[in-house]
Amino acid sequence: MNIQTPITTNSELNTSSDQAARELGELLLHTPEYQAFLRGLNAVNNDPEVQKISAEIRSHQNTLRWSPKDAGEHETALTHLEIELEAVQAVQEYRLAEEVVCRLFAEVDAIISQAAGVPFAANARRSGCGCGG
Amino acid sequence: MLSEEFQNSARTLGEALRVTPSVQTYLQAQADCAADHEAAELDNRLLAMYQELVGRQQRGEALQRSEIDAYNTLKSQVHQNPLVRERDTALILVKQTCLEIADELNFPLGMEFAALALAGNV
Repeated sequence: MNIQTPITTNSELNTSSDQAARELGELLLHTPEYQAFLRGLNAVNNDPEVQKISAEIRSHQNTLRWSPKDAGEHETALTHLEIELEAVQAVQEYRLAEEVVCRLFAEVDAIISQAAGVPFAANARRSGCGCGG
Repeated sequence: MLSEEFQNSARTLGEALRVTPSVQTYLQAQADCAADHEAAELDNRLLAMYQELVGRQQRGEALQRSEIDAYNTLKSQVHQNPLVRERDTALILVKQTCLEIADELNFPLGMEFAALALAGNV
């Protein structure tokens, strides 16, 4: 099967797709959803309760890493702290904003992928597996 | 529902990605695989076996060593097929192109678009 689509050169790739990507990035940046997500992230990072719980989490993680004695005790403490962290209001608000942004980005990705003929996000992830399926 | 401006912008990016040499090569290789009886059959068998094993594992079932060996044997058989190999090599280049484009998209956002988009698909 021959696919009749004009092929671009690498220099054209740099101008057309890079420019299209930058424009889309700018559009997404200015959406109310993304702005709410950034505000939520900022609120979480500056929340004293989050900072306190995060410091405790890091302390248990360090203990586990360097002296894994009583690992079970530290793992239980970590589980409790993670539950405590998720219960903080700033974190809950951030999670909601994150969910909205993820859904928005998934919709955008579906359009990119459909037009491209290959899954975009799955192949553009810095970590994890990409597949052509 | 996304606004028309977003839909157009996302479509423009997708179309620009589609005409890149790597995606064109991949789509051609994928079409060649699908058109070849042996390659398509091997591909389908591998996918079916993978889905069955993963499904059982997710339901908490322990897989037999012989089943994993059978899967790995089929996998290496599939990858010996020249059309499949060509397609898989092309996919590596598609990934490289997508990563380069994603860098441009991520820059204004200050975050990884792909990670957030994939989380939204769950």
